This record gives sequence, C-alpha cells and structure tokens, in this order.
Amino acid sequence: MSFWLLQHDQGRPALIDETSGNRFSYGELAACVQQFARQWPSSEGKKLGFILCRNEWEPIVAYLASLQAGHAVSLLSDSIHPDLLQVLLEQYKPDWIFAPNEIGLDATYERANLSERYTMWNRLSSEQSKTGIHEQLAVLLSTSGTTGSPKLVRLSHRNIQANAESIAQYLGLTPLERPITTLPMQYSYGLSVINSHLQAGATLLLTNHSVTNKQFWDFFRAHEATSLAGVPFIYQLFERLRLQNLDLPSLRTLTQAGGRLDTRLVKHFHQLAREKQWRFFVMYGQTEATARMSYVPYEQLDGKEDSIGMAIPQGKLSIDEATGELIYHGPNVMMGYANNRDDLQKADELHGVLHTGDLAKQDADGYFYITGRLKRFIKLFGLRINLDEVERALESTVPVQVVCVGNDQKLVIVLEDEQYSQQVKQAAIEMFQLHASGIQVQVVPSIIRTPAGKVDYPKMAERVM
Amino acid sequence: MEEKLRNIFATALDIPAEKVVDDLEFNSIPEWDSIGHLALIAALDEAFGIMMETEDVIDLSSFKKAKEILAKYGVEA
Repeated sequence: MSFWLLQHDQGRPALIDETSGNRFSYGELAACVQQFARQWPSSEGKKLGFILCRNEWEPIVAYLASLQAGHAVSLLSDSIHPDLLQVLLEQYKPDWIFAPNEIGLDATYERANLSERYTMWNRLSSEQSKTGIHEQLAVLLSTSGTTGSPKLVRLSHRNIQANAESIAQYLGLTPLERPITTLPMQYSYGLSVINSHLQAGATLLLTNHSVTNKQFWDFFRAHEATSLAGVPFIYQLFERLRLQNLDLPSLRTLTQAGGRLDTRLVKHFHQLAREKQWRFFVMYGQTEATARMSYVPYEQLDGKEDSIGMAIPQGKLSIDEATGELIYHGPNVMMGYANNRDDLQKADELHGVLHTGDLAKQDADGYFYITGRLKRFIKLFGLRINLDEVERALESTVPVQVVCVGNDQKLVIVLEDEQYSQQVKQAAIEMFQLHASGIQVQVVPSIIRTPAGKVDYPKMAERVM
Repeated sequence: MEEKLRNIFATALDIPAEKVVDDLEFNSIPEWDSIGHLALIAALDEAFGIMMETEDVIDLSSFKKAKEILAKYGVEA
C-alpha cells in the first residue's frame, strides 16, 4: 500500500498545522487530497508540477494529490532565489505551480485557483510543453541551493514508497508517533519524515518556526510531539539550548542525518538519551537515495559513535575494492538526474546502484564508517556544497581567481586580491543562500599550486584553515 | 554598554551597527535566522563570560529583549 493513499483509520489525526490552527484526520485529509486532484482530468495525461513549499497543510495536500494523480512534482523552497526559479521554469516548463499567494509569476501562467494562503497557477495552453514524462517519475528534488544549476534528482513512486517503508520499519514507527517539523519539506530528510510517518498512520505536527523560537516549543508541548529530526547544525543548537532542560515529557526519539555529526556531539546526545530514555538514531543518506541509506540501531551506539551503521531494510552497502568508494544497492536509488524537461522522459539509469562519492571502511561487526570524499564536497548547515561549483560561480562575479576550501563547519574563500573580499562573500551568501557565519574570506599573497600548475587544494586548506 | 552590545550584535549577525535597534527582531532580517542566533548567543556568552539558561536563549528574540535578559546576568546594557 502506498503512503499517499492515506489508508488508515479514518478518524485518526493526520495533520496539525500550527500557522493556520487547522487539523485533519486521515479521512479529512484523504477527502481534501481527492478534491484537489479533481482539477486534473486523467484524459489530460501526466503533468509536471512545482510546489513552493512551507511546512503547512496546503503544500502537503498538493504533494499527495500529485502523487495520487500520477503526476511528477518538484518540491522547492518558498524562499527560492528568483533567478533560480526563473532558470527552473525555463528548463522544465512545469504545467502547474502551487505557490504562496505573495509569489507572482510571469504571463506564461494564469491563476487557476486562489485560496487563503496559496495560489494554483496553470501554464497557458499555447505555452505547454509537448515533451512526455516517464510514467515512473514521481518527485524531483534539488540537492543544493546553487543559483543557475537546474539539476534535480529524479525519484520514482517506487523509490519514495520503498524508502518510507524502510524508515518506518527501522524506526519502529506506529500511529502513536507525533513528529514535529524541524526541516523544510522540500529537503529530502524533511520529506522522509513526512512520508515515513504517513506510511505509519502517525500525526504530523507542521510548523515553520525554528527550534530557537519560543512558539516552536509551545507547539511541541501543546501537541505532545514524540520526535525531533535534526541536521548537525540543529544538534549544535540543541546542545547550546540544553535540550535536557526543556520540559518535554512526550519526547521519545531523536534522529540525526544530513551530514556527519561531530563524534563529541554524538557521545553527548547518546549520554543524554540514556538518561532521558530517548532513542537516538544516527543515520546516513543522500537525496540520490531518496533520503536514507543506513542507520545505527540506537541500542548499539556505544562504541560506534563515529559510524554510519548498517544498511536500512531492503538496502545493501558495500565498498568498491578498487577505489574504496561506498556503494549502495536498494529500491530507493534514484532514476538519475535531470537538467531539463527532455530528461524527464528518461527511464531508470542507475538500476538500484548508487555510487555515493564517499570513501568508507567496515569494521568486524559489519558497521560502516565514512573516511573521506571522492570529490570536493562539504556540508554546511546541512546543505551539500560542491566546492568546485562554488569556485566557478564566484569567479563569474569577480575578475580574479577564486579558490574554495572548507569543512563541514565553514567555507573558506581564498583570494589574492583584498579588494574583492566583500564582493565574493556577498555573492556566496546570495547565490548559495549561506549564512555569513559559515563563510570566511582569506587573502593570500599567492595561491599555492602543484608542479603541474593546478591549485594544490590540500596545501591551501592546510594554510588557511 | 549598549554600544558594546550593539557591536556584538552587528559582528555576530554580520550587519551594520545602525541596523541594531530596539525593535530588531529574530527572523525579521535574513541574517538573524536560527544560524545567526546560534552565532549571536555564542558571542554574547563569550563577551560577558556567562552561559545563558535555555529559556533565555529562546526568549532572546529582539535587541530590546537581549538587554533585559542580560541585565539578569548582571550585565548592564
């Protein structure tokens, strides 16, 4: 059974929306979704939709209706940079767009429906793309906030259903769970929380507030949330907030993914979890695998604090003997990437095998450990950033060479000329939607190069970090 | 003292000091999001040699509120 069919006890609570105060039982949510899907007669064929998301009930209804109707849908941030939205609209020509009312679109789109908070836009029939969409394609997700990059991950109905089932199984989710949203729904980890809990028939507590906001915790307490999901940055906040001092008697489970959490913090939260009888799951995944690939069983975390654990149910991890790269096999591996509408016709190109780009080793108990990366990626505030891509993007804004190095705490931009320091920093903030506290600009007399004349990244990193 | 606090805000959030006024609020500018908040709290703790309580970290939602909360820790602003 697919989670988007919402076949649970119809009286059970499905959603509680903090912003509007609305609540939906599974029966009410199913009725709303069917009503929403009625605007698309099946005779019109498969369409591509964009949803500009907030953690509110309307985007969830639009998402589930799209899955029920068999459309392909891309989930995007409601605060997407206008330039990036423009690129995506040009490259993909979506047939419909569901967005908050304050977002306006050009004359290629006409308002089809307006509700209190959201507008449904349809592409003018004269402008519609004739290019077909592969029957298995269900969801398109972005892997980073890069301006100008229209690259999206193609996920099938089977991908998202299989991953929701695996996650619900290893987390032992039941209809009594009440997760509260800490992550945006267009982010694969945030979406996996929604999918897996709908699979389990649980109750989603939807809020846009961050964990540093008092209203977040008021909402948490009023509706007795049972679990929190966090990327490493959120765990840094939890540490500083002293999560253990917040009065949260309903809290049972903490999950962590979205990049490697410092071993010191894993130990800290492992200790707290023991004292508070919380279940603390350290997990690993990528959008290319829908969301999740591995997890550490919470009762096995002792001595495995720096491990990514073992493969999720239905999946298998192995290490390529020649390269040391971690390889994942499973039904949640994406169909492939897309860069434009034409790519949406493509069938599954990966056949269930994902080269993760991470280097790994395995211990005698079968647990996996990430030891490095094949390519130059860092994860800043949970956002995966390709350093080579940042370099290229920044070099398009200044007339000098830019070198980027970094780790999961900061991005360091290296220049030879101080006069462009502010300019590149500002460009990095705007183009990649990064916070200034994660970016450092360093000026050096000369960029270190290898004898072959290429930038010597290990030496540069040693020098500036 | 208010000047010192204003400078800490400006540096931690990476905004001009003139923007740091009493009704500057959490989430009212892109720079003061949850990431900025963590940087700000860390900067305040360090500058005044304190460790604010959980509820205060959550309540510190404007420049005005920061002055009130810091007063509780014996910081005159």
